[in-house]
Amino acid sequence: MGPWGFVLLAYGIVWGAILFYSISLRRRYRRAEEELARLRELEAAQTHAQK
Amino acid sequence: MGEFSESSRKRKGYLGALALIAVLVGLYWGLLQAPADAFQGEVQRIMYLHIPSILTAYLSFFLVFVGSCLYLWKREKRDDILAYSAAEIGVLFTALTIVEGSIWGKPTWGVWWTWDARLTLTAILLLIFVGYLMLRSLIEEENRAAVSAAVLGIIGFLDIPLIHMSVYWWRTLHQPPSILRPDKAPWDNIHPAMLTALAINFIAFVLLYFYLLSHRFRLGEMLEEIKVRKLGRDT
Repeated sequence: MGPWGFVLLAYGIVWGAILFYSISLRRRYRRAEEELARLRELEAAQTHAQK
Repeated sequence: MGEFSESSRKRKGYLGALALIAVLVGLYWGLLQAPADAFQGEVQRIMYLHIPSILTAYLSFFLVFVGSCLYLWKREKRDDILAYSAAEIGVLFTALTIVEGSIWGKPTWGVWWTWDARLTLTAILLLIFVGYLMLRSLIEEENRAAVSAAVLGIIGFLDIPLIHMSVYWWRTLHQPPSILRPDKAPWDNIHPAMLTALAINFIAFVLLYFYLLSHRFRLGEMLEEIKVRKLGRDT
């Protein structure tokens, strides 16, 4: 492998891994947002029904 | 636990945009604008990733240390969430530092890995914080997991001064600091274009780090709220 091969390998792995982590974080974030919204709606519906 | 406001969402958006611009400018300077090193040639460009990523990892573990100390002192959940979030991202940047170092080591030292003091201590740092993350998922009782992790987080942070001083204390293959030296100013040690590329990449990594941390921290807050609401429903 030539010098540029090592450079591009390093840059590719680093930015690939950071991109992968960002995407997985965004997915976990969305799932948590949806779950929280669902729980809040459920609680609001229960409170409304009790009234 | 506060509501996640629209202004906070906007601030994160601006931070993300700023980080992206800095990353692109950093790539341009690191790969195209900075000159090749007189001795190492083009492979030295890995430095523009290697130094910013280890400094970002140190910053992250410093926040683990601060969050852990505050949690042990005040027992406030948000300090624990901060420590947990920072540890997760710190592990990512430490692992990347080791991979970059390995790729840089092959053409310059002739080996992918050597049991050099600095490399070994960095690998130990990674293992400590991988252990930190495992501890959090293995201990079911939440307060006990948070306290144990906080203690480990504080102990783990103490490895960082050892890593920094290892090149002075032991005879190592890893070079001593070439930029932040006590005897010379940074601009006397390195070509101005190289220093600029390094500074831009460092700023880019820090901005990106705070962008990721803000999302990871908010995720931690949401997971905590979900847990509390579910418990409230069950009882």
